[in-house]
Amino acid sequence: MRNTEKYWNPILETLPREKLQRLQLKKLQNIFKWAYENSPFYHSLYHNAGLEPGDIKTLDDIRKVPKTEKSMLRVAQGIKPYPYGNILSVPIEQVTEYRQTSGTTGQPVYHPETWQDWEWSAESWAYVLYAHSYRDYDRVFMPFGYSIYIAFWAGHYAAEKVGCEVVPGGVLDTEARILKMKELGATAFMATPTYILGMADVARNKLGLDPAKDLHIKKITSAGESGASIPATRKRMEEAWRAKVYDHAGATEIGHWGYECEAQCGLHVNEAFHLVEIEEIGTGASITNPGKSGSMVITTFDRLAHPCIRFDSKDIIEWSPIEKCECGRTFRLLKGGIIGRADDITKVKGVLLAPTAIEEVVRSIPELGDEYEAIVTKKGDIDDITLKVEIIPDFKRNVDAIEQKLAQQLRLKTNLRYNLEFHDYGTLPRYDVKAKRFKDLRPKE
Amino acid sequence: MVEEYKIGDMVEKIKILKQTATELKRISGGIQAVDRNVDRILASIKMLEINISDVAGIL
Repeated sequence: MRNTEKYWNPILETLPREKLQRLQLKKLQNIFKWAYENSPFYHSLYHNAGLEPGDIKTLDDIRKVPKTEKSMLRVAQGIKPYPYGNILSVPIEQVTEYRQTSGTTGQPVYHPETWQDWEWSAESWAYVLYAHSYRDYDRVFMPFGYSIYIAFWAGHYAAEKVGCEVVPGGVLDTEARILKMKELGATAFMATPTYILGMADVARNKLGLDPAKDLHIKKITSAGESGASIPATRKRMEEAWRAKVYDHAGATEIGHWGYECEAQCGLHVNEAFHLVEIEEIGTGASITNPGKSGSMVITTFDRLAHPCIRFDSKDIIEWSPIEKCECGRTFRLLKGGIIGRADDITKVKGVLLAPTAIEEVVRSIPELGDEYEAIVTKKGDIDDITLKVEIIPDFKRNVDAIEQKLAQQLRLKTNLRYNLEFHDYGTLPRYDVKAKRFKDLRPKE
Repeated sequence: MVEEYKIGDMVEKIKILKQTATELKRISGGIQAVDRNVDRILASIKMLEINISDVAGIL
């Protein structure tokens, strides 16, 4: 296979590490200087820290640069010019696109894009889709709402850029989308893991279609939730659609920074577009080797209207021990994609719990449906956790054995005992985009 | 792998594209149908710079 058939950009994606780091330093210096000179927010942040553009001489100097986080962006956007605030680094007349974050963790962040930044977004997504084997012969169906959220907007334009035929399934409901995908023989689509499984469920139970046999999907790009990097969830999705499911990571404020390749052995960080650091939670110490997870701090290069420099994304990630991916890309790998969110990891009965561990257990048990709900409450001074699952009708008679298996696996993977509730299939809440399956109802201290 | 691509030639052509687009905007007389389309062309040229020109000096 020629390299141009394998990589969107064979030069950048296979750049030797030493050269990649030189490129990153140049780009870090550029974006730091740009933000310092054009964004009152960043100018003030760096001026107060005693930093000027000339102070970034090595990649390690990034550790001197103050971090940013979502709460700071929220405060800054209250300052003129409305609605982006003083982070805005271009004249507002140059802004051509508005999007906002979903607000899952609070007040949404408003995000401006110039035409160049929008082009940049599509470009970085093109790296993703090409690695996911999207090509000009693909008919890509877009089953999302084309709303005020960034979601798969840039994925749409990237698919066009790659040369695919793109079908916007925006206003159609789930059933109509599935029928249109079938009618047109769509070969690929992009959605959250929740919706990938949800669509398969609707196809089977409302339309009498088996997506694995009756549709022609060959590849699915999963984003917005960790699912495709959770082995049990990926297996369910791939079996449901008889398609390869690839993970992808991005965020409105950051851009599209990580993607799987055909080897599916972790997320490659697009290091030509981003600089990723991992910091130990609590101490902030830098984690540079595999074996320890921490919070992602990320810098985006070349995206100018709303610079993203040392942004603490609260995503929990870990470097992979795999140094050379079999795909040939030199972009560093993360083990298991996004493991969780620092916001989500919580202590229950004194034990640290990542909700993704519950998902891994539930979806590894074939007698259970895809949906579940974990609810943490407090009874007196003691934490209490209830897990609601759905049992697939054919297995209702085996509930005792399933309960035993579920309890054992949960104990093994999360070190906690749960109150287990078995519900009829189809009775737990269904979600179209991002799901909220973990509910911490304990009073806030 | 890099040797199989004419990176220097590509960098030169990207530079010419950018100069040509910028010059076109300079002489447009403010015709929006020219200026706005040039802006889009320049955004695409920037992607070529990110993909090729920015890394050329490092190879």
